[in-house]
Formats: sequence, structure tokens, C-alpha cells
Amino acid sequence: MNEVRCTVPSDTAYLPMVRAMVTEGARLAGFDPETTHGILLAVTEAVTNVIRHAYGGEPDQRIDLLLGTRPEHFRLDIVDYGHFVDPSKIASRPLDDLRPGGLGVHLMKSIMDRVEYRPNAHGGTTLTLEKHAPAAKGSS
Amino acid sequence: MKVTQETQGTAAIFIVEGQVDLHTSPELRSQLRTALNSRSSPLVVDLNAVSFIDSSGLATLIEALKSVGSYGGKLRLCGLNPDVRKLFELARLNEVFDLRTSRAEACGP
Repeated sequence: MNEVRCTVPSDTAYLPMVRAMVTEGARLAGFDPETTHGILLAVTEAVTNVIRHAYGGEPDQRIDLLLGTRPEHFRLDIVDYGHFVDPSKIASRPLDDLRPGGLGVHLMKSIMDRVEYRPNAHGGTTLTLEKHAPAAKGSS
Repeated sequence: MKVTQETQGTAAIFIVEGQVDLHTSPELRSQLRTALNSRSSPLVVDLNAVSFIDSSGLATLIEALKSVGSYGGKLRLCGLNPDVRKLFELARLNEVFDLRTSRAEACGP
């Protein structure tokens, strides 16, 4: 089994801790620092969206993180226990509409190879983020 | 994240260090707000020591850009490392913000 599981509170103070875990996961999978930085950004946007949209900013709710660590492949499942968040409700703004906010989903989709939302058994949302190392693209 | 404020001539300089995310961006917004309220210009945000910034950090800078424009002032960013610059490019904000290579250049006329 190549999977790391952890649970963090829906508190923005824990975002650096999430990034620390993801950094080590991406390093184990063999990603270069530039790609790892992109993954950190995508994961931060995803967890931030959970805190904001699934939990309405409540800092004491539960977020489960399941990190897959096979070589040249990054996968993170982000599981919340809030309510299913319709992806269309958090869609990105047009990039030429200059206003604060509305960039998170655009950034996730620009960086990751797979961004998938689905309802989970807890009544919340499971978001899967996947990224293949450049050399592994098309081979899996 | 740590924000240090300096002045140079009319320029209000904000030297940002560390990680800017939803947890820390309110502090950056609060400090920028003080300079915006006193209509400082140019506002210079030095990102040289920023190791990470997310969309909440970008939102803070977009707010400041709109506010400074409301009184005819200027906002300039400098010291973007390649990772931070990549984020601006992904969001197509490299064409919106006045990006300078050095703090000295950003503080100029």
C-alpha cells in the first residue's frame, strides 16, 4: 500500500502543514521543484475551497487527505463532510474580468491533469487531484 | 508571512516574506489598506522573499490595484521569483500588473 492518510481541521492555519505533506509526497513520487510548486498551489486552492464553500469558513470541521505515492504520479483525494459543492457554483471567472477571487478552479485545472468532484458517502464532496510527471504522461 | 513597511520618497514599500495564503493574506490586505487610505503612490510590493502565494494573495493585490487606480495612484510589484511569476502568467495577471525587476526600479518615477 502506497498511501498516506491524514486529517486536518478546516482551519486556514493548517494550510502550510498540508503543503508540507504534499511537498514530501511529490518528492517521493519524483517530481521536480517547479512541478511540485504547481501542485502545492492546486492543493492549496482545493483545500481553501473546502474551507470556504463546504464549511462556510468554520475552522473546526474535518478534512481527510489521502495521498497516493506511486512513482511519477501524484494523487490526492480531499474528502469533506460538509455538503456536496456543485462545481459549477465555484467555477472560475473569465480571466479578462479583473476582480478579486474566482481564480482557484482555473488554477487547479491549469496545473493538474485531473480535477474531479464527486459526492461522497458522508454527504460531502470528494475532490481528486492527479498529476503525472512529464515523462510519465501518456504511459499510464 | 511577515510584512515590513518602508518609505522612499513618495513610495510606500511593502516587503513581504514567507507564504501568502487565505490565512495570511488578510494581514497583507490590512497593511496595504493603511497606505491606500492615505493615498500613497507609488505603492511598491516587494515579493522577492515570498516562497508561496495563492489566489487569495492575488485577490488582495487586485483589490489594491483597483483602489490605487481610484485616486490615480500606481501599484508596482517587484522581485517575483519564477514560481510566483508563473502564477501571474497562469492567471494572465502579468499583463495587468506593473511588474518591475528591482525595488529601486519600482520606487522610481
